[in-house]
Amino acid sequence: MSEAQCLGLSAEKGSSLHSGCATVGQAVDYGFRKDQSVKLDLFNPSQEHRMLRDMISAFTKEQVESQAAEYDQRGELNISLFRELARLGLMGITIPEVHGGAGLDAVASVIVHHELSKSDPGFCLAYLAHALLFVNNFYWASNDAQKKKYLEPTLSGEWVGGMGMTEPGHGTDVLGMSTTAVKKGTKYLVNGSKTYITNASEGDVFQVYAKTGGEISAFVVDRSCPGFSTSKPIKKMGMRGSTMGELIFEDCEVPAENLLGGEGAGLVHMMRNLEIERLALSAMSLGIADRCMEIMTAHSKERVAFGQPIYKFGQIQRYIADGYAMTEAARALVYYVAHNVGPEIQNRLGSDAAKLFTAPVGKIVADYAMQVLGGAGYCEEYPVERLFRDAKLIEIGGGTLESHQKNITKDLIRSL
Amino acid sequence: MKILVTVKRVTDYERKVKIAPDGKSLLTDGMSFVANPFDEIAVEEALRLNKAHGGEVVVVSVGPKDSTQEIRKALAMGAHRGILVTAETVDSDVYARALQQLVEKEQPELVIMGKQNTDDDANQEGQLLAGYLNWPQATFASKEAGLDSADEKAQKPGLVVDNGQLTVVREADGGLEHLSVDLPAIVTTDLRLNQPRFASLPGIMKAKKKKVEEFSLGDLGVDPAPKLTYVAYSEPKERQAGQIVENIDALVDRLRNEAKVI
Ligand SMILES: Cc1cc2nc3c(=O)[nH]c(=O)nc-3n(C[C@H](O)[C@H](O)[C@H](O)COP(=O)(O)OP(=O)(O)OC[C@H]3O[C@@H](n4cnc5c(N)ncnc54)[C@H](O)[C@@H]3O)c2cc1C
Repeated sequence: MSEAQCLGLSAEKGSSLHSGCATVGQAVDYGFRKDQSVKLDLFNPSQEHRMLRDMISAFTKEQVESQAAEYDQRGELNISLFRELARLGLMGITIPEVHGGAGLDAVASVIVHHELSKSDPGFCLAYLAHALLFVNNFYWASNDAQKKKYLEPTLSGEWVGGMGMTEPGHGTDVLGMSTTAVKKGTKYLVNGSKTYITNASEGDVFQVYAKTGGEISAFVVDRSCPGFSTSKPIKKMGMRGSTMGELIFEDCEVPAENLLGGEGAGLVHMMRNLEIERLALSAMSLGIADRCMEIMTAHSKERVAFGQPIYKFGQIQRYIADGYAMTEAARALVYYVAHNVGPEIQNRLGSDAAKLFTAPVGKIVADYAMQVLGGAGYCEEYPVERLFRDAKLIEIGGGTLESHQKNITKDLIRSL
Repeated sequence: MKILVTVKRVTDYERKVKIAPDGKSLLTDGMSFVANPFDEIAVEEALRLNKAHGGEVVVVSVGPKDSTQEIRKALAMGAHRGILVTAETVDSDVYARALQQLVEKEQPELVIMGKQNTDDDANQEGQLLAGYLNWPQATFASKEAGLDSADEKAQKPGLVVDNGQLTVVREADGGLEHLSVDLPAIVTTDLRLNQPRFASLPGIMKAKKKKVEEFSLGDLGVDPAPKLTYVAYSEPKERQAGQIVENIDALVDRLRNEAKVI
């Protein structure tokens, strides 16, 4: 296997995970980019990816970090900061340039979620719900007229978007959903409710799944649809830089032209988008782990106990070294899979594996960091307790760990 | 107005530099590099002037081939095209002489550069260039309105160009100086002139299509021999831990007899 193939850059992109890739993580200079003097690697496969990382990393340090604790306390989305992301052109990373996006890939999206989550996973979750669950999802499901109406205001950040799949009675068992849409003349009448929906309060527009007859269909619902409302925000343990709430449909009238891709097409949209969502959530977990590694390592050198820096104690070394190894494994997996996910490439196995492995890494490394910091880690002075609370969500949202186990096993057995 | 602006690739000021075993150079392996922060302010100012007066912003870097990264960043911020002058060792004088050749070739009305490069902190490149070109110079450009002012939020330039004249505000001890120079001129930027913008993602995507020309020092007829040799590097002395003294008398005693400061 050539290096380029190994990193998923060949024309033929497989849908399964290849292991034994010797060059992962090393700087590789691709022949076809000889004109650029930059070393390319798995994490920054092109100069544009590297520049994107530098930009979002600087933005995170300068503008995201300082507000994270405050918005966590308030349990609110920092909407003006959110609009800054739009000004930086980050709402349509995966949208082709002809339609006002950047025309980049899943790796680019992963980079942004990774870097933002080093400071504020809660804020990043609102970004994910908007840029991936709405914009990316909608883009690949919509026709030209629909794009004309909804793409511009969501790419510009004027409108906040979200996606409604989960219901009070059906989460993991999403295909059992009970929200219905019945066609009446030029409209669909939608009834039911969705819950735990990120950006429900701030959102202007949502991609919503409902049953038309026995099949799942997708619709765009905006605030102008009569019979549509949202609940008060639901309070939660972490990810408090974003809000979540219910979407309520009471004989809600949705114009028939808001059906995305025909009745019954909803399932395909849902499944395709879940892959990039899971990768982005994995990248968020990785961001949390990176930040916690940095904090605990620095602290272990500064903090003196029994006359020596605590990193000299074997038990502390175990937190640091195990945390590091886990984080590095997660990094390689997430970026490797990101090279093999896209609108035309199905890779449920890869994205489920990435999230199944990476979600606990953020949580465990945050826990290790708290242990290494002792009482300080439990206090709000350090971001560790916030990251610890945020990290847990990734084992639940976008699919629980158990759902990934179920999917992976099903796919592996099916491939026999 | 055509503006030439510099971006030098320098070692990342957030990382600790390591000295090579021979003690005569710095290790670049594993080092990360950034655009000189003062140069980023220069780029930002050039872009603001360009918005107000039109014309062209040309970014120039003198240094290793990898400096294209810093040029690309400035292009992503909005500059129009780039020029890289490849050079191995660059002291202030080689730097200024290379720029002199480019200025003569490009004929800009204004050159904006950082007041110093954070790698050697020499703070003389702009002045040397003004000397070689025999152009007026206004160094340490700052501005009256602060970085949290409405003018700054509206991205208004701090440099004022009017009728072939340029007005520059400089911070001086206890006040501000207002200098007026005839164009063409050299300006070097201080820290509080502006807050550089982030390169937007569309800017990054556009940057790859922008032209970057490349020259060697030889192509420009510049003698590559530096005038400065680095004889030795040494680490700063490690700070001693503080001591807690029992009482004021002990403190006075130590200050007088040990530290010998009173
Ligand atoms: C902060 C936050 C934000 C969210 N944002 C959104 C959003 O924007 N849009 C959206 O649609 N949803 C969103 N969700 C919902 C999220 O996707 C669901 O919570 C998740 O899919 C799990 O569904 P559930 O909560 O109903 O749990 P359940 O499905 O009731 O699961 C309960 C437990 O049973 C287990 N379980 C269920 N079925 C099986 C099985 N077959 N085998 C083994 N174990 C099983 C689960 O793994 C879990 O441990 C969000 C949730 C949170 C907490």
